[in-house]
Amino acid sequence: MSEAERDDAGLPRDELLAPMLRRVIGVVTIVSLVALVLFGLWGAPTDEVQGDAQRVMYLHVPSAWLAYLAFFVTAAASALFLWRRTRAEVWDRLAGASAELGVMFTGLALVLGSIWGRPVWGVWWAWDARLVSTALLFFLFLGYCALRRIPAADPVGGAKRNAIAALIAFVDVPIVHFSVEWWRTLHQQATVFNPQLNPQIHGVMGLTLWLGTIAFTLLYVYLLDRRYRLAVLEDGRADRELERAIAERISTSRGVVA
Amino acid sequence: MTDANKRRPRYIGAAVLCALTVAIAVVLVVVLSENVVYFRTVSEAVNDRSNQGHDRFRLAGAVVPGSRKETDNGVNFEMTDGNKTVRVFHHGDTPALFKDNTPVLCEGRWGNGLIFDSDRILIRHGPKYQPPKVDTKHAPRVKA
Repeated sequence: MSEAERDDAGLPRDELLAPMLRRVIGVVTIVSLVALVLFGLWGAPTDEVQGDAQRVMYLHVPSAWLAYLAFFVTAAASALFLWRRTRAEVWDRLAGASAELGVMFTGLALVLGSIWGRPVWGVWWAWDARLVSTALLFFLFLGYCALRRIPAADPVGGAKRNAIAALIAFVDVPIVHFSVEWWRTLHQQATVFNPQLNPQIHGVMGLTLWLGTIAFTLLYVYLLDRRYRLAVLEDGRADRELERAIAERISTSRGVVA
Repeated sequence: MTDANKRRPRYIGAAVLCALTVAIAVVLVVVLSENVVYFRTVSEAVNDRSNQGHDRFRLAGAVVPGSRKETDNGVNFEMTDGNKTVRVFHHGDTPALFKDNTPVLCEGRWGNGLIFDSDRILIRHGPKYQPPKVDTKHAPRVKA
């Protein structure tokens, strides 16, 4: 892997988003999250059957969808890393960054689902296929994140190992999505991405759900950019600190001589 | 860095991976053994009544309107899937959304004949969301 381009502070220039674009995305994220709170709590009508408890949906469903998206990015980046012609460090870092966010969104979906389930189903948790396959997804990618922390003698070999693990873990994503069709579950079937592709949700409620999805997607892109940057800085840290220590030592010893 | 320092993170990482693998295996076994069929419909349970004995299972159906009667320690109601109907003796609390026509799962076992002894009711709501309909046809008219 070649020496990366450095900025004035001696840090590598490698970034996902241009600083201006990142700032715009950050601002739009905050605005859309505020709009989601307003629509989620007041704008959307109260559900006929479930009452206000149904409002958890506007956070729970986008969390689950973003978990799918994040793990898809991890799997796609891993495949691009494994394919010789496209192999580059950027795919490995992107896969790792996206997986961590995926674990966060899966955890959110599980916790919010539990909070929603208690008043509506009557229980915090059920051992049905949807819930168990989702918990499994959480632990599979948590394991993947742990695996990434285990150093390998050969960095490319280690990254290949991680990429294969990500592709294996991704198999659970379609299982989670179709679990409510394939098995009998306490969890209801899909409202939006159902086999008929005919959303079963009232206008403003559906709008609020899409608003939540847009807000969470922007948040994901912003956090992905930040986590990627952190990975870039983390990688060359030891070398840069050594360089700086040597430079300091040289300058102080010159001072003594003078 | 000494050898011990180098090896420690690997050791922890390997231990975490092993723990996760075991956790996943346990979870899978639990699910595959009993919960792939999370519930039986009323018809299935009635047709299989003689083979069921006193095994615990979940029964799925909707609450028959007007069949609910409060008892000393719970509620007694009829449950149907459209084809067959059974009477349920429930011991314990009922969820807030337990009403006429609500789709429910009852956890318990067969009692005498076609009476189901339940000790837990779960609400299995559908995937449809909408605000209450305003009944304009039958709304009380304000006389001028």
